[in-house]
Amino acid sequence: MATGNYGTIRPADVSVDDVEILYSYTPNRELITSVELQSLDPAEVLIPATTPNNINEVLGGLYTLKLPTSVFGSKGFYSIIIRPKEIRTTIQDCGVLIDNQDVKGLAFDINQIPAELQNRFENGNLVGYRIEYLKEVTGTGQDKIQNLFRIITSNNRALPITQNQGNGSASQAYTFNDNSTSVFCTLTPSSAPSIKPNAVPFIGNPQQNVIITNTFFNPVMLEIEMVEYDDESLAYALYSNQTKSLDDGIYTIYNFGNQIYKQYNLFEVKDQFSGKPLYEVREQKFTIDPTKDFDDITNF
Amino acid sequence: MEYIRKKISLENYTIRSIPKSVLITNSEGKIIIDEDNPKYFYGKVPDYKVDTKGDYILNSFGQKILNTINVDLHITQDIDDMGIFTDRAFVPSDTILPSPPPNFNSFSYGRLAGAPLNFYMTGNNTLSGNTDDEYLNRVKSYRVDDNGNPIYVPYLNTSDDSNNTFNGVIGENVKKITYKIGANPIEVSEYEQNIITEIKSGIEFTTYKKEFIQTIDEYGDNISFYKTDFMSNSGGWNINNVSLNAIIKKEEYLGVVFKPEVKSVVFINRGVADIFERHAILSELKTTNDIDTNRGGKVRI
Repeated sequence: MATGNYGTIRPADVSVDDVEILYSYTPNRELITSVELQSLDPAEVLIPATTPNNINEVLGGLYTLKLPTSVFGSKGFYSIIIRPKEIRTTIQDCGVLIDNQDVKGLAFDINQIPAELQNRFENGNLVGYRIEYLKEVTGTGQDKIQNLFRIITSNNRALPITQNQGNGSASQAYTFNDNSTSVFCTLTPSSAPSIKPNAVPFIGNPQQNVIITNTFFNPVMLEIEMVEYDDESLAYALYSNQTKSLDDGIYTIYNFGNQIYKQYNLFEVKDQFSGKPLYEVREQKFTIDPTKDFDDITNF
Repeated sequence: MEYIRKKISLENYTIRSIPKSVLITNSEGKIIIDEDNPKYFYGKVPDYKVDTKGDYILNSFGQKILNTINVDLHITQDIDDMGIFTDRAFVPSDTILPSPPPNFNSFSYGRLAGAPLNFYMTGNNTLSGNTDDEYLNRVKSYRVDDNGNPIYVPYLNTSDDSNNTFNGVIGENVKKITYKIGANPIEVSEYEQNIITEIKSGIEFTTYKKEFIQTIDEYGDNISFYKTDFMSNSGGWNINNVSLNAIIKKEEYLGVVFKPEVKSVVFINRGVADIFERHAILSELKTTNDIDTNRGGKVRI
């Protein structure tokens, strides 16, 4: 019988508020200096498609990236990373649930989260989020602990409370309380692979800095190469209208809309003494002669 | 991460129109372009959309429209099950390390052979926040004032187990009530006698008498309570919440969401079999599918 082994790929319907976009630019592939990433505001450049006949319903899967020409208008290579938004915060505390001592978890202080992101920390909203950890002592080499992450399996507002251990001692544990400003998160795996059962004992320490990231979509990286010519523009040279002014030797190539695409000066280089032609030259003209408008020339 | 390569020609965004309004006649009587004219965009990729006359195209609000290079993307989300977890007995090393290695980090070291439990404990962690006044009721005395409000008696232990736990008020004024839940009674006693200046055990709550919080509960109803702060000194990993028992993932169950099980919508315990049972079963078998579903597919006729 089926054992419930499942998995799927679904079109993402992530809100642009949960997206982060970074980009870098290099004019060519031979750049020696390191690449510097800069941010773009997803709300301005990433537009989700809506369902036909219902503009209030996101279609899912299809997004249009509107890259401003003020930033992306140069010839060269733009690398664009579209990834889930990161929330950086500090682990407020670590502990267990008061009635489930084997359920370990991390506590976060909602007040430390930026106001616009605090709704992500309401009950159940963090499920599926990924937690990555920064070293407890920063500035010692790589600050991020690499290749280590946990997934949040539940989150609820919770209050630390003590439970009597006898002999005047009490231990602290968490109890759910919807009016608390602390959020208790359980994580997985809080376990290790069977081949190395001692490998991964902990899920975080108090006051440790972490990066919390949603998993609403798979990150995408685009390399956009901005070029001056494509098949269409090369076709102008072959198949579009052209004029050659015999008076001043200006050779004009038009695009398929009869707008001036390129202009060249055509001339001969002759020997200054004998007058013998040495070269025929076609030199690109950067100051456009507007009198060579195709419609003006042909409307006679 | 999906990697997409695209090649886009800037020519698609380059202005090739030359409006008549940017043409001027020079001193030689020749028509040339006034390149300083703000409507001259020939050969440029403008930041905002312009028409063939060199005017900015405006939206319905009269604002210029950003010129953008549009790329359609297909964004997806992968979902996979996570397998089954189980416990495995932990066998500690015979050699117990006396102290952690330099720069010991529980993440990078993991379960270090010979490392005792205290290597993984953190110092007492202080945390604070806001909550409701739920625990205020636990520390009130049975007495009430003339207005029927409860009287809070400092250092009155309202705990059920007063020998081991102190629940009670440790300070009150016109603005607020400060009380402890789950504190050590001995420590509270020493604090009362000014032997110590701070009670580190238990959770300290401070409820403000004149400050209300109004919010909405999970059912959408309006609720209100006294503003209450909480503070604890006893958080972090400690002997009460850390153990060296490992939980492992069984490789043979990777990708299996749950163990195989027989599902029955309704289970009827027929009791002991009687002589009519065989015929009763036969009357239930209307189709060949019924043979599969009755008694797990094991019908003996």
